[in-house]
Amino acid sequence: MALITAQSGLSRARRGVAPGGAGGPANRKSKLSAQTSRTFFWLLLPSVVLLVLIHGYPLIHAGVQATHDGSLIQTGNFVGGENFATVLSSPAFWKAAQFTLMFTIVGVFGSWLVGLGLALLLRTKIPAGGTFKVLLLLPWVVPIVVSSTAWNWLVATPDSLIPSLFRNLGLGTPLFLADPNLAAITVMVFKVWVSFPFMMMMISAALASVDTTVYEAASMDGATRWQQFSQITLPLIARSTYISWILMTIFCVNDFPTIYLLTGGGPVSATTSLVVLAYRTVFQDFATGPGVAIAFLMTMTLVVISVLLYRQIRKSSVE
Amino acid sequence: MSTKPSIASSAFSRRGFLGFAAAAASVPLLAACGGGSASQGGGGGAAGTIKFWDMPWATPAYNDAAKKIAEGFSGANGGKASYQIIQWNNFYQTFSSAIASKTGPAVSTGGGFQAFQFEQQGQIAYADKVIDKLKANGQFDDFLPGVLDPFKSDKGYVAVPWQLDMRVFWYRKSLFEKAGVGLPTDWPSLLEAGKALKKVGAFGFTTGAGAGNNYGNHSMIMMMVNNGGGVWNKDGELDLMNDRNVEAMEFVLELVSNGIVDPAAVSYTTDNMSAQWKDGKAGYGLFQVNVPQRVGDTSGDLLVADPITGPHGDKATIVFPNNIMMYTNTPSQEASEDFLVYYLGQLKELWKQKLMSALPVFKSITEMPEFADDPNNVKIVKDWQPIAKTFAAQGKTLNANLAALDGGQALNQFSQTILTGKADAKTALQTFQSGLESVLKK
Repeated sequence: MALITAQSGLSRARRGVAPGGAGGPANRKSKLSAQTSRTFFWLLLPSVVLLVLIHGYPLIHAGVQATHDGSLIQTGNFVGGENFATVLSSPAFWKAAQFTLMFTIVGVFGSWLVGLGLALLLRTKIPAGGTFKVLLLLPWVVPIVVSSTAWNWLVATPDSLIPSLFRNLGLGTPLFLADPNLAAITVMVFKVWVSFPFMMMMISAALASVDTTVYEAASMDGATRWQQFSQITLPLIARSTYISWILMTIFCVNDFPTIYLLTGGGPVSATTSLVVLAYRTVFQDFATGPGVAIAFLMTMTLVVISVLLYRQIRKSSVE
Repeated sequence: MSTKPSIASSAFSRRGFLGFAAAAASVPLLAACGGGSASQGGGGGAAGTIKFWDMPWATPAYNDAAKKIAEGFSGANGGKASYQIIQWNNFYQTFSSAIASKTGPAVSTGGGFQAFQFEQQGQIAYADKVIDKLKANGQFDDFLPGVLDPFKSDKGYVAVPWQLDMRVFWYRKSLFEKAGVGLPTDWPSLLEAGKALKKVGAFGFTTGAGAGNNYGNHSMIMMMVNNGGGVWNKDGELDLMNDRNVEAMEFVLELVSNGIVDPAAVSYTTDNMSAQWKDGKAGYGLFQVNVPQRVGDTSGDLLVADPITGPHGDKATIVFPNNIMMYTNTPSQEASEDFLVYYLGQLKELWKQKLMSALPVFKSITEMPEFADDPNNVKIVKDWQPIAKTFAAQGKTLNANLAALDGGQALNQFSQTILTGKADAKTALQTFQSGLESVLKK
């Protein structure tokens, strides 16, 4: 009986309805007046024009480059989809795609889990919480060139701090950047370290908007801490979570400096992501067409993923 | 009472979000195709001014001195020159976009093979008249032997060299004394010295192939060339599978398997390498000119070694002749030529002020006390420069394909494969050859 009551309360809470609340539809959109629409149109126009100029021209130019066999200076001959066929039949592309997928999954969910944990921790009353919060933001705030240099110093040589620590603990001397598997793991851990403050901020903001009386109600209904977390907290921060996932997915897939500065994509391509591969193909192999084709494929994939996740957001909103 | 909607969710529209997501998602596309910086007027800024673009070849003091030299130019008709530093990051993109938009330089330094890449695209003005003027003023005869030849194509001189980025073996004297072993003179003694150095905790073939570090690549090619091999044959055709290359790589793999190469070298940046030299972990290895200054140990313990002899009697190293090129987009070709002749004539100032970490191309500069006071420099000029070959070896002239070789993915992966000992020499070379062929076809 108590369980039924708790579930009923939780159900109301998930919908954002506190005790005594009507539970009716909230914030239904009203139609904009014609005057307001016109104002919005003129206000938005400069931004739209700027966006088209900044993104439109390079996109068209990239499309031309991807379908030609030229260089950065000369367009070259039209080759149709040959560059795309070359890229898609290349084992290097699929290896990079595989790494990008792993890097993104670990980067998104690793940073989300750490960020969620810390956001929940910071919600409680802990001593020097403000200072703690500022310190936790450092990995996000510090320029990536500085943090990658610091990480290189920590792990690069057998005598670096962390390998020395492992050695002193009798765990051997791991070569964090020289061993292909360890290098991949190190880069992913580095990404999580760099990204968790962003997740922490997003989740903290979402948590701050949750009415605490909801928890009081759930508690009175007999909900356990886990039930409160899984059936109130998570659903109520779902929109922010999905948004942060989408953004972090884009950040991870597009992430060039984290990987390039730490490992350069090596050893032996073990940490080469698609964006690193595109860069190296264009600027080191001077194969402009295939390099831009890789970038095109990445962009298309990202747009598809973004749309799918956006649908998930709408679904969660409806629920 | 209702739960407050978060700011994020209340201000969130489908179109707005999709617009933002699409913009963010297109970043790689923009990064891949975007142009670099470009500044005023093609080839020349103010009327008749020659635009000279230079790279940060050494400390900022170098660029200050080079700027002073460039701005000191006074052409026949009162022409002047302007000076601009171009950063190494994405330099090829910077040059390419500027050239494409006709806002590039009239004269520049740049990447080692950049002149040949732009020559292939019809953007380079040949330097034959500059060579004639150098012959007339006597500077032509001042070039060190062989440094000019790699720049002569069928159509003319593509660029003029001004400094030599040489690869030579260095050693730490105290480590050899501690190990009680003599300096290597050939490959067997290199192996022997490496084993002895390992016993005292040092490495006998120091290199690195991590982020942005090409010394591992250079070490591989150097060992091939030192065995009479190379990436190309004498006709300039790709020839990686020759017996000399296989033999050289089998030897390097032997060094790797014996622990003579640092197992972490595959991931070392140049800073990591410098630290290994400074910390006494590096006993012997291929590096650039001016290593003591670079790593911060001028105690006299770091010295240039003798060249070693390959198993078939070959003795060679590799060199990157950095050069100055002229572009077709110039306010006056004659003024470009005059500027280049003038600039080459003033180069001695850079070595006089000890600003350079490369060898000069002129004999007269190598004889200046500011250069010759360092016995390491003298040894490099005397013993290493005469046996130095370019990346084009065993071919003679430089070409645009070398840009895709140096720093390209195929060579980088090959070096890393060898340094990790993950494949046998033939397999690694075969993969290297295939990778390079696929790039050179483009």
